[in-house]
Amino acid sequence: MNPDILSGFFQATMASTLGATAIGSLLGLIVGMIPGMTISTGIIIVLPLTFVLPPDISIALLLGLYVSGMTGGSFSAILLNIPGTPSASATAIDGHPLAGSGDAGRALGIAVSASFVGGLFSFLCLFFIAPQLADIALQFQAPDLFSLVLFGLTIICSFAARSLIKGLLSAVIGLMIVTIGQDPMMGTQRFTFGQLNLVEGIHFLTALIGLFAIPQLVDNFSDMVRKRGEVHPARQFGSVLPKLADLRRIRLPVFIGAPIGAFLGILPGAGGPIAAFISYDYARKANKNPETFGKGAPEGIAAPEAANNAVTGGALIPMMTLGIPGDPVTAILIGALLVHGLAPGPLLFIENGDFAYGVIFSFFWANIFNIIIAFLGLRLLVKVLATPRALLMPTIALLCVIGSYALRNNFFDVYVMFAFGLLGLAMRWLDMPVVPLLLALVLGRPLEEHLRVALAGSQGDPTVFFTHPYSVLFLGLAVLSVFWSFYSERRAKKAAAVPQQQTSP
Amino acid sequence: MERDHRNMRTRNIIAAIILLILGVGYAYLTAHLPSRDIANTTDPSFFPWVLAVCFLVLSGALLFQTFLPVDLGRLPSIPAIPVSKYAAGFVTFIVYMALLPTLGFVVANILFFAVLMIIYGERRPLWIAAGSIGLSLVLFFLFREIFQIRLPAGVLGGIIT
Repeated sequence: MNPDILSGFFQATMASTLGATAIGSLLGLIVGMIPGMTISTGIIIVLPLTFVLPPDISIALLLGLYVSGMTGGSFSAILLNIPGTPSASATAIDGHPLAGSGDAGRALGIAVSASFVGGLFSFLCLFFIAPQLADIALQFQAPDLFSLVLFGLTIICSFAARSLIKGLLSAVIGLMIVTIGQDPMMGTQRFTFGQLNLVEGIHFLTALIGLFAIPQLVDNFSDMVRKRGEVHPARQFGSVLPKLADLRRIRLPVFIGAPIGAFLGILPGAGGPIAAFISYDYARKANKNPETFGKGAPEGIAAPEAANNAVTGGALIPMMTLGIPGDPVTAILIGALLVHGLAPGPLLFIENGDFAYGVIFSFFWANIFNIIIAFLGLRLLVKVLATPRALLMPTIALLCVIGSYALRNNFFDVYVMFAFGLLGLAMRWLDMPVVPLLLALVLGRPLEEHLRVALAGSQGDPTVFFTHPYSVLFLGLAVLSVFWSFYSERRAKKAAAVPQQQTSP
Repeated sequence: MERDHRNMRTRNIIAAIILLILGVGYAYLTAHLPSRDIANTTDPSFFPWVLAVCFLVLSGALLFQTFLPVDLGRLPSIPAIPVSKYAAGFVTFIVYMALLPTLGFVVANILFFAVLMIIYGERRPLWIAAGSIGLSLVLFFLFREIFQIRLPAGVLGGIIT
């Protein structure tokens, strides 16, 4: 047996790491269930607290938050018909009607159980697939790595953008921001304007805090959002432990949702919402009584919940093995690892094998704590839904400011964070997605580095990218993903145009 | 729907023009980056040039697209917020950031927190006082004492060591 597996297991099972995982799970359930708070924002807020912690404990805490945030999102979807996270949107379709018929406890129990199975399934995928993929990735050379990062960027654009041009523009803006500071090959200063604070470049996490948290704070200015968040959920919802009959009933949808979620999690950009809706659709098609869907069918809760929790482990696979984030949360996790001097990628399993396996086992424990805390603390946790926004939002604002300052003990980063907040708002006004920009901030530096190393190795010959098999494969996939995105955009617009024509006189 | 389309078109035109100007500015700055004569090695300006070209092409494509008879999509769904709240939030943040280095994280945070509570709809003075002082102090000491992040105390530097 690989000794790293054993030491990783012990590392994740130490009291301090388990404690961090449990705290992360508790925070995740809270963050997930508050409408208007995303898991990404939750992680960003907690991130500054982890700077002083050892990396294994930090990541354990963040993984707990990630996993339980997915489950927490279903609580408000079921109780209030407001998904706490986008991934829980599909859960509301059947969860809320079931809760409305007086079976809220049953609906919550099914959601928690399905999430647990989905999470465990994705843990198994992570445990068995990640090391194999890392082994393959070790053979990659600079041209392959460049093409891989480029593929990561293009696939994100195709999934994240309603308009391909705007998605690509968002990614290029991110790449341009990355060029501020010293260039990765020669250390030449670029676009620093003599500012010492810019020599090290814009810190990825500072940008992230601004891009995600400031628009969220602004959204909550709205009375509508504020009132939505302050709705008091039903106080009584009966037993939350699922009955054996229900567990039997949700077997099939769970086993439909879990693999779909894990698979789509591996694909960068697909993410929880898509996995949840696809699983819901398949579960309905596979059901003998599809007409019960939408009216409180337990299967309609189980399939999307299993899927969105399975996405978490799936998304960790490309993050840990290739350094390619599967979704915004894993992009933030990459940032968290970089703060601790650890670079995700194939070398993580070679140079820090015990840490890599520690992350995998912390993910396992996060799923265990998720189900324990959810079942034991559900009655208490839903009271969080009544937290006044007037206390919650200023607290988040302070945490954003302190978090930006704490990165480098520098007021300049606070200003940069605010500037990125304005950029995030401007991009939203233009319907330009921020996710490609975020991923470009993560992938920009390796993209330039691999491109220039590859060109240096080939004496400037660009055909080097077309002579390495892996590189050709990734470039082909990149082209395919852009064309697919273009095709989907056109198809969606055509589909939207048809009903208009039909309704027009 | 037609109005949505027109608004989206206007926004796209504004965005494309701003982005084109930014692209030209970026290209200008890239042209003035120092060059290094090292054999088989690309210049520090190589990657920025690639980006500048991509950026200008994409911005041009965005502008071009707005004049084509294609569906530009719907306006993004942004919660309706009065301009006064936007302005209040923006000014609060700017003033807070300007005062932060002088006042330090205790005093500035208390004031900032109190104003934000009001913006978020809290009107009870006791709640505002308790919330802003209590939570600001908790966060300050949490980060400073437990997480060992040296948040400057500013004007209270003599009291808080």
